[in-house]
Amino acid sequence: MPSNSSDGRVRLGPYQRAAVGVLLLPLALIAAQSVSPSGTSQSQTQSQTSAAPNQPGQPLPNQPPDQAQPPVQPIATPPKPLIMIDPAHGGSDSGAILNPTILEKDVTLALARRLRLDLGARGFVAELVRDSDQNLSSDDRAAKANAFHPALYVCLHATSESGGVGVYTAMLAENGETNGPFVDWNTAQFSFLPASRSAQQDIAAIIQKSGMPARSLATRLRPLANLTNPAVAVELAPRKADVSQLLAMDFQENISAALANGIAQFLSESKANPGASQ
Amino acid sequence: MIPRQFFITVTVLFVLTIAMSVYVWQLRRRESRSPRLPEKTEHVAPPNSGSMEQVTVYVAYDTPGELREKSLSIALAAGRQQRAEGLLRALISLYTAKDSSHPMASGAEIRQVFLVDPGLAVIDVNSAFVEGQISGVLPEELTIASLVQTLATNIPELTRVKILVDGKEQETLAGHADLSGFYDVRQIAEVTKELSPQ
Repeated sequence: MPSNSSDGRVRLGPYQRAAVGVLLLPLALIAAQSVSPSGTSQSQTQSQTSAAPNQPGQPLPNQPPDQAQPPVQPIATPPKPLIMIDPAHGGSDSGAILNPTILEKDVTLALARRLRLDLGARGFVAELVRDSDQNLSSDDRAAKANAFHPALYVCLHATSESGGVGVYTAMLAENGETNGPFVDWNTAQFSFLPASRSAQQDIAAIIQKSGMPARSLATRLRPLANLTNPAVAVELAPRKADVSQLLAMDFQENISAALANGIAQFLSESKANPGASQ
Repeated sequence: MIPRQFFITVTVLFVLTIAMSVYVWQLRRRESRSPRLPEKTEHVAPPNSGSMEQVTVYVAYDTPGELREKSLSIALAAGRQQRAEGLLRALISLYTAKDSSHPMASGAEIRQVFLVDPGLAVIDVNSAFVEGQISGVLPEELTIASLVQTLATNIPELTRVKILVDGKEQETLAGHADLSGFYDVRQIAEVTKELSPQ
């Protein structure tokens, strides 16, 4: 039984104290959970969370203006556009045997390496689908290029016939079946064709300006149809059927510079008009 | 004792066997010494069974990379498929001729053309056709456009064309032109326009 002391306080017996302790324990636990490990209460944490969207330099709503820190603009460096260069053929697939000593796969790899340097000098990032004499199927090439999401894919070819430089886009009659984010592999390029044609026109125009004959055509050439980004193929052709010209330093320098300028032209246009990229 | 007739028969047969062996040995020797004639791989034109007709074909020119319209007078059969085969064989004979504008191997041949309604043509070429094809995006595109546009011009209801090699589907013509799908006649018409002399 509780007994009243002389100072007016109620005194509890040992069993009564234990009973009160058991009854108050859940309340104590609830109170402990509502306090964060750092010692701040939940209400304090919520108020900080709601203030989080404010930029570091911006004053908080309840902060007086004179105490606000000066606004600091974040330094945003836009990512450099990535260009995927695909030297066609490779490994056991030599491509066209241009003459007994010159194979298409070697011409395309040499030009691809030069083009990577030229694009780098213009402030772009260029990756090669193959940088050695290796076998790659057209599906492997498309998968690799699609994984990088490049701003432009350029496939390089070479032929012995002197028909000028050809710039090609995929020949697709209609779009295949799409299911949400999944697109038909054989017509994956379809929605990117307007951008690819824009790149084709820019590249062909710059090549012609540099004094080489160039033509724009559509073709059924793998893996152009399987790419989910703007994509073109460029086929070099010698002047006057002199195949050895294809590996000549000055010829490769000229064509690489023209290609790099054409690609830069396309990328500057697509930057100015981003809606045209698809 | 062995009868006399039996002994004579066995002796005659033995002598004949020896004589035949010597004869066969001599024939084989003569055959191995004589020079072998080269196998004839040239395309053999089918007999002209139909009436002469004026047709339009599209001829590829590797230099400067063009497709030019040309009128030919050829004998065509009455059947649709035979007509299609005749057309393409006349075109290929231009490419296998000497000083061709778009050279092909002398054995290059159109095996068969199947016309499947609605609007599909299947062209079956032989392996010599593919082996003699110049490799390259443009040379292969010229071959395809030449075949498809020639067929489409003379068979107006055509919408799609499929190309087989020795009756089987092949990935590419000579490393570039994709043969795994169908060629759309309208798109080839656009390519033909681009490849026509300006």
